[in-house]
Amino acid sequence: MRNKRLFSLLALLLIGSMLLAACGAPAEPAPAATEAPAAVEEPAAAEEPAAVEEPAVVEEPTAAPAEEEPTAVPEPEAAAETEATLTPEEEDAAAVAAAAAASAEAMKAAEAAGKIPVRWFVGLGTGTDPQQVAIQEEVVADFNASQDAIQLILEIVPYDSGRDTLATQIASGAGPDIVGPVGWGGSNAFYGQWLDLTSYIEESGFDTTIFDPALVDSYQTEEGQVGLPFAVFPSATYYIPAYFDEVGLEYPPQNYGDKYMLDGEEVDWNWETFTEVAKRLTIDINGYNSTEEGFDPAQIVQVGYSPQWQTHPNYIGSYIAGAAKIFEGEEKGSYVATYPDNWKEALKWTYDGMYGEQPYMATGPMSGAPEFGNGNLFNMGKAAMAITPLWYTCCLGDLRDSGAEFQAGIMPMGADGVVHGRVDADTFRVWKGTKFPAEAFTVLSYLITTAGDKLLPAYGALPAIPEKQEPFFEAKSNDYPFVTPETWEVFKAGLSYPDAPSAEQYTPNWNEAFARGNTMWDLLQNTPPDQLDFDAEWQKYLDDLNVIFNK
Amino acid sequence: MFQELQRGLPKLPTLRAYREMTPLKRREMREGLLFISPWLVGFLIFTLLPMVASLIFSFLDLKITDGITSAPKFAGLDNYVQLFQDPQIWSLQSGTRGSLWITIFFGIIALPVGIFLPLGIALLMNNRHLKGQMAFRSAFYMPYIIPFVAAVFLWGGMLNPETGWINRALMALGMPRESVPNWANDINWVYPTYVIMGIWGIGNAMLIFLAGLQGVPTELYDAAKVDGANAWQSFRKITFPMISPVVFYILVLSVVGLFQFFLIPLVVNQGTGRPGGATMFFNLYLYKTFFTFQNMSYGATMAWLLFFLIMIVTVFLFGTARYWVYYAGERRS
Repeated sequence: MRNKRLFSLLALLLIGSMLLAACGAPAEPAPAATEAPAAVEEPAAAEEPAAVEEPAVVEEPTAAPAEEEPTAVPEPEAAAETEATLTPEEEDAAAVAAAAAASAEAMKAAEAAGKIPVRWFVGLGTGTDPQQVAIQEEVVADFNASQDAIQLILEIVPYDSGRDTLATQIASGAGPDIVGPVGWGGSNAFYGQWLDLTSYIEESGFDTTIFDPALVDSYQTEEGQVGLPFAVFPSATYYIPAYFDEVGLEYPPQNYGDKYMLDGEEVDWNWETFTEVAKRLTIDINGYNSTEEGFDPAQIVQVGYSPQWQTHPNYIGSYIAGAAKIFEGEEKGSYVATYPDNWKEALKWTYDGMYGEQPYMATGPMSGAPEFGNGNLFNMGKAAMAITPLWYTCCLGDLRDSGAEFQAGIMPMGADGVVHGRVDADTFRVWKGTKFPAEAFTVLSYLITTAGDKLLPAYGALPAIPEKQEPFFEAKSNDYPFVTPETWEVFKAGLSYPDAPSAEQYTPNWNEAFARGNTMWDLLQNTPPDQLDFDAEWQKYLDDLNVIFNK
Repeated sequence: MFQELQRGLPKLPTLRAYREMTPLKRREMREGLLFISPWLVGFLIFTLLPMVASLIFSFLDLKITDGITSAPKFAGLDNYVQLFQDPQIWSLQSGTRGSLWITIFFGIIALPVGIFLPLGIALLMNNRHLKGQMAFRSAFYMPYIIPFVAAVFLWGGMLNPETGWINRALMALGMPRESVPNWANDINWVYPTYVIMGIWGIGNAMLIFLAGLQGVPTELYDAAKVDGANAWQSFRKITFPMISPVVFYILVLSVVGLFQFFLIPLVVNQGTGRPGGATMFFNLYLYKTFFTFQNMSYGATMAWLLFFLIMIVTVFLFGTARYWVYYAGERRS
C-alpha cells in the first residue's frame, strides 16, 4: 500500500514537472528565427536589395553628441554583443538566432549596468549586408560610448525573414524600440504600429528646420508624425556608355527638358524613344539587334533595358504612367482598387518588352540565369539601361571591377508629356509599444543626424539634410571615379520628380496586396503569350485586390 | 458510417456506471487515467486549446500585430463569407489559379506517383528472384532517414537549371541549352519537379507495401498457379485485394499530406508562389496569411476550411472503402 502511494506521488510529481516544463516561459525573447522561411538566393524584389558588393565608404568617425561626454563605464558586454551580431550571411537563419541570443545578453548587461536598453531592429530594408552591419556596429559603439543612460542594442535579421520576425515580436509584446532603415513599403507592412513623434520632437527641441519641410510633412500620416527624413533615393536612367557607342546611339540626355538625337532627328526623351533605343541595344548571339531581320530572341546576350527590381506593377505604373492613388473607400468592406488604365498599358509595355516580336527586356528564365546575374543584369553588364533609384549605386561593384563604366540620364517623359520619376525614402521608426519612447527618440535623432555620416554612405543613400549631400556624392565618386558630376546632378534633379502618392503607398492589407503585385509580375515574366491572356490576368489582379483590400 | 467507425472504440463510463463500479475497478480506472494524464494534459494544452482558440479567432477581426493585449473585434461570419468568395482560393482561371485548385491539380499528378511507384518498387523488392533484397530495401529506404528539408535543398541544387548536374547531363547528352528544363522556375515544369523531389521520400510507403505483400498467404498464389492464372491475374485477383487495406492506408495518408503540402514550395520557391503564383498551395497560402500577411482571423478560418476539406475527403474515402478494400475475416451484410 505504501509503495502504491509512493508510486502515485512520484507519478504526480512527474506530471507536475512536465507541465511546468511545458508551460514555462522561454529563457529569452528570441525572434522566431527557426520558423522563418529558408534562405533564398535571389535578391528581394519588393524592396531595396541589400548592398552586396560595394564596400561601404567610411568617413572619419564624427564627434559623439556634444551634450554628453563619454562615460567611464566599461562596456565589455556591449562589445561582446556587437561582435556577436556580425552575421556573415544575411540569409543565415542561424545567425539570427545568435544575434537574438546576443541581444538578450546585451539587454541583461544593460539592466545590470543601470542603463536603459533600446533595441534597434534592422531587417525590413537595407542594412543587413555584412559590411553594413559592421558600420552599424560602429555607430552603436559610438553611441554607447557617448553617454551612460542608454544602451543601444543592434538586432540584425535577414531581410527575407525580417517581416515575419518583427510581426512575431510585436504579437508577443516584445517588439523592438527602433526599426530601420525602412522604406514606405516596409513601414506599411506594419501600419498602425508606429509612434507619433510629435510630442518628443517638441519636448526635445529637435530642430526639424534642417530638413526640407516638404520631406518632414511627407512623414505626417493618419498615425501622426511617424518619422523624420533620413535618406532619399531619386531615380534615374542608368546606362553603359560603351554599349551606346557600339551601336552608334546618342547617350540619354542629362538635363530635364533636353531632347534626344535619334537618327539625326531631335526627339523627346519619352518612353517611345526609350523603347526604340532599348530595342537597338538588345543584341543576340549573332550580333543582330531586336529590330533587325534574323534576330534570335532565344539567344539574347544583352538586353536594352532592365527594370532592376522596379518590377512591381505599382513601380511600373508610377514610372511610366505616373503616380496614382490605387484604392478608394473608407472602411473595410468598401475598399475598391482604382488602378488607372494607363497602369495596365504600362504593364503591357513591359510584357511586350519581354515577349513581343521585338523584345528589349529579359524574360524570367533569362533574367534568372547566372550569366545574367540572377536578376542583377545591369551590374553584370547584360543590360544597356536600367531605371531604378539611387540605392542601386550600392551594388555596382561587379560592373566597375569588370572595367565597364556607367552614367545616368534623365527619366523618360510619359505619354502625357510629363516626367514621372520616383523617389524612395528610408528612415527609422519607433514602435509605438516601446517602453522607453523618449530614449528611443534620443537614439532616433542620433541615427538620422550624427550617425548619418557613417550610415548613409553604407546604405548608398542620399542624405535628406541638404548640406550633407555634397560629401555623399564625393564619397560616391571615390567608389566610381568614372562617374561624371553631370550624372550626380541628374540624381539631384530627380528629387523634383517624386511619385506622389508613393508607389509604396499604404493600402488596406498592404502585405498581401503588395505580394499579389509581385505574383502578377512574376506571372508575366515567366509566361509566354500562348499561355497567358493578359487582359484576363489584369482583371483577375484587380478582382483579387478588391478582395484582399477588404479582408 | 459513423456507427461503423464508432464500433471499435472503447466506451467512456457514465457517472452512474462509475458509482456502480467495485472499489478495485474504480482504483484501476483512476490509475489508468493517471498514467495517460500526461498525454491528456498535453493534448488539452497543445492541441485542443489551439484548436478552440483558432475557432474563436475565425469569428474575430484579429491581426497578428494587434498584439496580445489589444481587445479583438467580433466579426461574426465575415471571415467565412469572405473565404467562400476569395478568388485566391477558388479561382479556376489559368494563370493565377486559386490555391485550392493548385493543390488539387498537383495532387492529380502527385498522388498516383506517390502510391503506385512505391507499390511497384515493393513488388520488385518482394520478388523471390531478386538478389540482394536487403541491400535494395536499405537503399530505397535510406533517403527517408535524411531530413526532408536537407533533401529538398539537395534536389534544389541538382535541379538548378544552370549548375545542376541533371541539366548538365542532359546537355552532355546533346540537348540544346535553350531546351533543358528550367525546373522549379518554369510554370510548366514546376509540378513535375516537385513530384520528382517527392519521390525521394517514398521509402516509407514502399516498406509498408512490402510488409503488406509479405503478409499475403503463398497458398493463394499456389492455388492460382494450379488454376492457370498468369502474373497479372494473380496480382489483380490476389495481391491487390489482399493488400488493399495497406493501399487504402497509404491513400488516406497521401491525401491528407497533399492538403498539407508546404515544405517543398517554401524551401524551393521561398514561399513566394513563384513562378507566377503556381506554387501558392493552400497550406502555404494559409501560413502566409497567418504570419506574413499577419491576418490571424482569416488564417484561422482557412485552417478550419482545410480541416473540413480533409475530413470530407477522408470520410468519402472511407465510404468508398467498402467497394474495394478487402479485410480478411470481415463479415459483409
